[in-house]
Amino acid sequence: MIKFLNPSYIFYLTGKILNFIKIFIIPIIIIGIIFSLFVAPKDYIQGDAARIMYVHVPSAWISLFCFALISFLSIVNFIFKIKSLSLIYKSLAPIGLAFNFIAIITGSLWGQPTWGTWWAWDARLTSMLILMFFYIIFIFSYKFIKNTEKSSKICTTVSILGLINIVVIKYSVNWWSTLHQTSSINISGKTTVHFSMLIPLGIMLFTFLMYSALIFLMKYRIETIRVKKKGLKKL
Amino acid sequence: MNLNFFLMDGHGIYVWSSFLLTFSVCLFLFLKTRKILKKLEKDFIEETENLSKEQFSDLKKQKIIKEILVSQSKN
Repeated sequence: MIKFLNPSYIFYLTGKILNFIKIFIIPIIIIGIIFSLFVAPKDYIQGDAARIMYVHVPSAWISLFCFALISFLSIVNFIFKIKSLSLIYKSLAPIGLAFNFIAIITGSLWGQPTWGTWWAWDARLTSMLILMFFYIIFIFSYKFIKNTEKSSKICTTVSILGLINIVVIKYSVNWWSTLHQTSSINISGKTTVHFSMLIPLGIMLFTFLMYSALIFLMKYRIETIRVKKKGLKKL
Repeated sequence: MNLNFFLMDGHGIYVWSSFLLTFSVCLFLFLKTRKILKKLEKDFIEETENLSKEQFSDLKKQKIIKEILVSQSKN
């Protein structure tokens, strides 16, 4: 067990997993594209525009999940001062921001043919935009504030405020009357998406998760080398 | 494969733009991250080469440093 917590073993493991993901990522992306553009049926109301769902929904899920995880890690790091946790949240933030950006733009591209508008200041869309600002502030906080303690404090504050926004994003479609539809996929409740569309969605989610893992591992190695480089200068 | 596959009854522009944007952003992030990683690894090796023999042998006692050096030599 101790072996798995050893930073050198973790670094070694990230290299191994990276090589493994690099082999499979391209075929998985191709399978995901084939399923979402060729195999998945048209929606009976929205037609082909519904295919945007296969990039929009997994992106939104990953951006929300990343921020929730970042918040948890930065709070734990603030309380227990575990240095390696800051490496993890620093590696996660750019991934979350990228997928948040993708979710907003693809949502806008989906909105035009279905709602007749690129953008509406409705609760779901606005709270997703606010999440993007939280991501930007969070990244700026650890990039430009050199004082580690001060940066950690700001990161924790931003992540707690952002966490409140995550709850608002999740329930915005229930609390307010929004243009954005209510959740179609529920873990505990009824899922209203047909099986033939659920499979491509699952494949695209898996594809994006693999890509996220690839970037995360590369970022983790970057942050680890940065720390060790600082140590070299002290020699 | 007919033209309608690309046009998608007028929705093609939105669908293709969404997929193109998604994969462009992902590719950009991947290339940027890889470039930074390669540069950092290279800089790290260069900095270790500038160390004295004693400093370098002390440094190599740290397992993680060994891992960084080994991973760079494999690339």
